[in-house]
Amino acid sequence: MSHGEREPAAELGLLDATMIGMGAMIGAGIFVLTGLAAELSGPAAILVFALNGAVTAFTGLSYAELASAIPKSGGGYAFVREIFDDLPSFVMGWMLWFAYMIAGGLYALGFAPNFLELLHVYGYVPPPGEVGAVALPLLPAIPATVALAFGAVLVLVLVNAVSTAASGSVETIFTIVKVSILVIFVAFGFLSAGGGGETSFTFQNFDPLFTGDGGALSILPAMGLTFIAFEGYDLITTVTEEVKNPRENIPKAIFASLAVTVVVYLLVVTVAIGTLGAEGLAAAGEAGIAEAATSFMPKGLPVIQNGGAVIVFGAVFSTITALNAVVIASSRVAFSMGREGQLLPRFGHIHHRFGTPFLAILGSALVMLGSVVLPTKSAGNMSSLFFLLSFIVVNGALIKLRRERPDMRRPYEVPYYPVTPVLAIGLNLLLTVVLVEYLFRTDLLALALSIGWIVLGVVGYYALERRPEVATGDAGPPEPTPSDPEDD
Amino acid sequence: MNGDLRVVVVGSGRVGLRVTRLLDARGHDVVMVERNPDRVERVLDAYVATVIEGDATHPSVLEQVDLDRADVVATMTDTMGTNLSVALLAQRLAPDVRTVMRVVDGNIEEYEDYADALVFPERAGATAAINAVLGGDVRTVENLPGELEIIEMTVSEGAPVAGKTLQEVSLPRGSLVVSGAAGHAVAASDTRLEPGHGYLVAVENEVADEVTRLFRG
Repeated sequence: MSHGEREPAAELGLLDATMIGMGAMIGAGIFVLTGLAAELSGPAAILVFALNGAVTAFTGLSYAELASAIPKSGGGYAFVREIFDDLPSFVMGWMLWFAYMIAGGLYALGFAPNFLELLHVYGYVPPPGEVGAVALPLLPAIPATVALAFGAVLVLVLVNAVSTAASGSVETIFTIVKVSILVIFVAFGFLSAGGGGETSFTFQNFDPLFTGDGGALSILPAMGLTFIAFEGYDLITTVTEEVKNPRENIPKAIFASLAVTVVVYLLVVTVAIGTLGAEGLAAAGEAGIAEAATSFMPKGLPVIQNGGAVIVFGAVFSTITALNAVVIASSRVAFSMGREGQLLPRFGHIHHRFGTPFLAILGSALVMLGSVVLPTKSAGNMSSLFFLLSFIVVNGALIKLRRERPDMRRPYEVPYYPVTPVLAIGLNLLLTVVLVEYLFRTDLLALALSIGWIVLGVVGYYALERRPEVATGDAGPPEPTPSDPEDD
Repeated sequence: MNGDLRVVVVGSGRVGLRVTRLLDARGHDVVMVERNPDRVERVLDAYVATVIEGDATHPSVLEQVDLDRADVVATMTDTMGTNLSVALLAQRLAPDVRTVMRVVDGNIEEYEDYADALVFPERAGATAAINAVLGGDVRTVENLPGELEIIEMTVSEGAPVAGKTLQEVSLPRGSLVVSGAAGHAVAASDTRLEPGHGYLVAVENEVADEVTRLFRG
């Protein structure tokens, strides 16, 4: 053998595909977003996650139908590209790309304080709130969390740029570790009930359920803000071509990962609010779950010393694996867009030595690295906003495909069509409007950056369109091949 | 241009399905039109194409493949009448689309004006049969057993491997560059992959897509 070789991608079973979806959903969201949800809606945060699970399930149905009928690994962008014209499908890919990149920033920002908490548990650093800035010569002092978040993104980008993605079985092990740690958290949380300690589980923490001024309606902004928590099943559809028996396993994996994730979220949020109280959870911010755990888990254990350390480790591990997942997901969207000539064609090239979509990963990394200077909340807001928008387009694609290609075969069909996708569009639109209104009042930075990204995309789209070699958008006739297509 | 193609394949019999699998393995998008429900199930199981169930000679069915975006229509059924009607209908509905027609019976020359390219699988089959009949330990390889193929691939300008030596690139396991640019020597680690030149490459089906992307951009 005269030249180096790499292994081709592995085949994924139903379990692996389910775990890919769960791995992204039970990642940063559960640790980072629960605090934010509690801050906005108090104990009703539990309803926020339940309802978000229900809303996203409708879009999950649409994803299942599209993925079972369209054998392309590009996720939502590939489905929309199949039926919409150039500009709408470009905007879709552009939004989804951004959603993943900002989610990467969000997960990195969730990783940093939890990592500091882990170091704190073992006494290496003061509590996360008291860690000072990193002072570098010639540069202004950078907060430790931002530096850590930046470093985490950088490391994962480099790893993914030079080697093909971790195989499905690794992802499965990762996800099982995460879920096990959360089960431990939930078990000890419920066991602490009646202990009389400051953070023992008690149902008094849920009374009153609604603390906001607007009563039950106050949960709507929190829903918009935390919508990103359940975006992970989209990731399953970016690897469909590697899934075994796809027409059955992809819809199953989407539903199974969503159902299990919602249950896990509800249990964890119940315990977190029941022990720490909504106010305590909100105050702890990104490290909320970890702090709650340190308070009620047993101490003085051998080796790990502190039971809470397990949960804090879980938080660190979850945020970093979720970050890894979105590094891959964002680069796949950029790669698909490059293949279609909707980004610079170079984005659709794989590297001659590493076999990875090198430029697509580096391009995604730039935005991700830039986004770690954002406040966590703004990153969450923007990512949720773009997922909501792109889910609206995906449901639109489903309806358009049904109308224009009635004879297309769909191994899985959405039940109660057209009620289901129309309802999905309506609910996503409602949350979008509420979120935009909320951003207008509280987070103009996020709103401005979001609008700026779309404007930048449309301008870039027309600039690329005018380049002579991609002006037609389509490829020319194929090279003639020397032999006839073979007989059977 | 080196981008992926959008190909409409009509008919999922032995030839059509095989063509579809190979196209999908090399990273192209395929839309299949098939009217037999049992065969439709087979294509769906293979997960290599979106499938329109219906008779492609009906304009209302053929329109559902989105001909305006298609690069090629390949009509591969075993019925000459169907192939001819689909090729003509496709040209009528989308004048820019390239048509490839399988010739089932009759003189191949008499169809030359009705499609951009004609294929006659029985002829290729006969070559393979002759190889087998004549036997011997050495023969020209056209149909390899299993999932292995030998493809002649031209390196595109600007492709990831263009201008690089084999030492500098790392191809996926399951692929091997067999010959150098001039075709008369076996490739070595210092063989340079020159843009515009063709190379014989042995690839297993599962990495055909990746190798094509490296060579063609």
